[in-house]
Amino acid sequence: MIDFAQNTIDGIMIGSSYGLLALGFTLIFGVMRRLNLSFGPSIMVGAYLGTLLYLNFAAGPIAVAAVTVLGAVLAGIYVERLCFAPMAAGAGIASMVSSFAIWMQLEQAAILLLPRHTYPFPSLTTGAPLTLGPFQLRADHLIMLACALGLSAGLQLLLYRSRFGLALRAIIGNPVAAHLVGINVRTAVLGAFAVASAIGGIAGYLVLATDQQITPMFGMWATIKGLIAMMIGGLGSIPGAILGGLVLGCLEAHSQSYFGPQIRDLSAYILLFVCLVLRPGGLLGEAPTRETIDRRRA
Amino acid sequence: MDDYLIGVLSNIGVISFLALSAYLLLLTGEISFGQQAFFAIGGYAAGIATALWGWSLTAALLWGAATGAAAAVLVGVPTLRLHGLYFAIATLAFAEMMRILFELFHYQISIDGEWVGPDGSDGFRNIRYIFENDVGPVQFLALIYGLLAAAVGGFMLLERSRLGVAFRMIGEDEVLAEMHGVAVARHKVLAAGLAGAIAGIGGGLYAHMTTYVEPRIFDVMLGVHSLAYGLIGGLGTAFGPLLGVLIDIGVLESIRTFAGFRMIIFGGLVAALLIFRPRGLLDECVVHRIAGAWLRVWGWILRSASRPAGGGR
Repeated sequence: MIDFAQNTIDGIMIGSSYGLLALGFTLIFGVMRRLNLSFGPSIMVGAYLGTLLYLNFAAGPIAVAAVTVLGAVLAGIYVERLCFAPMAAGAGIASMVSSFAIWMQLEQAAILLLPRHTYPFPSLTTGAPLTLGPFQLRADHLIMLACALGLSAGLQLLLYRSRFGLALRAIIGNPVAAHLVGINVRTAVLGAFAVASAIGGIAGYLVLATDQQITPMFGMWATIKGLIAMMIGGLGSIPGAILGGLVLGCLEAHSQSYFGPQIRDLSAYILLFVCLVLRPGGLLGEAPTRETIDRRRA
Repeated sequence: MDDYLIGVLSNIGVISFLALSAYLLLLTGEISFGQQAFFAIGGYAAGIATALWGWSLTAALLWGAATGAAAAVLVGVPTLRLHGLYFAIATLAFAEMMRILFELFHYQISIDGEWVGPDGSDGFRNIRYIFENDVGPVQFLALIYGLLAAAVGGFMLLERSRLGVAFRMIGEDEVLAEMHGVAVARHKVLAAGLAGAIAGIGGGLYAHMTTYVEPRIFDVMLGVHSLAYGLIGGLGTAFGPLLGVLIDIGVLESIRTFAGFRMIIFGGLVAALLIFRPRGLLDECVVHRIAGAWLRVWGWILRSASRPAGGGR
């Protein structure tokens, strides 16, 4: 029983980082109706720049975090300019394949920057984990959970309480109508990419600081985990993204502890597949209707 | 031909099957991230058939195609009502499930005192059919390209048939196709099965070409690449995905001077290309124009042949 509870706690903690990744993904997808496969790799570019700073100048955690987020935002803007802004309406698949090509490019750039397979990443906190009765809580995990809840609330506020958010919601509703009422669609979309990349950058920094190491596989890892959490929670839903992340985290923590890493990955994919077949809209999203599908395919 | 050239050409031929498989689904309007699963299933099935059961290569390749098709139909039915991104992610989930299952798959029997067969994440070694039966690399290359030519020929016939028209109609607009009397569900499952069979043959050839398969070859990267080939080369004809494979493996992997910068150049080129040609180099427009030009040339040849020599009276 104590094991079960401890696993659930660990799952919620690691799941909050999945939730953050899904949050960034869902924002881009909500606005663009297109899939950005380069989301994870652009976070990785930021993290590699942060690692470079740490290795060469022994920078502190705050400087590394700032560089990671800034690098992720710049890489995200680069992806938007190259793969999404110039694409005509109806070329959604081309955007997706193009973002995959840029994924390859960013991964290679990161490897050229730091060619070894593994590099150390500075941890955020030091010291023993907090003990609470029979349970253990890691301080960096708590920071992760706090960031997930804080950022999702912040994003909700941004979308529903600011002019920028109003513009984004208008674009989500109907891009042509938004353009006609005088919203600068291109700037707003670029802004959404920057916000999503910043959220992703924070998530990436927190995960890497907990793991204390970085490899070139991180980009793929971030894309896949964010994608799974987003699809389980429901496309385009902010609470859904966080919930999807937490569900995925708990499932992984339990199956890891009872059956090992292979079954952990297997159970995540089985959950995703079953979820898509039985409830394509995810836990909190709306089921895709004919109309939304057509827009999503655009 | 030297060994390196034969190796590169064989690789291009085998991966082309996977690209054709993804292309067939793109015709019906579905994006699949998971065709590598059927490639893997075909590879394992055909490898087991020759190495463990002592089947002939022909039977093994047919068996690989059959298992690939059966698995694809099994996935195709529950994912039938999914579209776009939902379908793409469902196929991705299935392919990753299969990859992990192959990591857990142990099936070995002792042949001449040696254990042969899939051994989990250590892979499946010693698929030695082509050595034991003295099939040379050039002969095997001819086999690959013979089958590939047959597959492309099949696509050519398909494009001229009612079935091909139905596939493209479904890809354009499913509801409209249904209203015109196309049995959408049946056609989509058929397309999935055919795509699975093509990937299965490719997998069988791959396993015998490298004599070794392991689960981590069949990861998401392979699947997304095979999807990208169709879009780079063009969605207008079955030669499109082949052109995509040729550009990626043939040109870039072979020219070693790019080493280190290969992906930076290739990634940038693909992104730039897709801005100007969102449906690839050989898209429907280009194919139509080439076909038109060909008809004009052919007509000119026929006319000049039927005109009597000397220019008449």
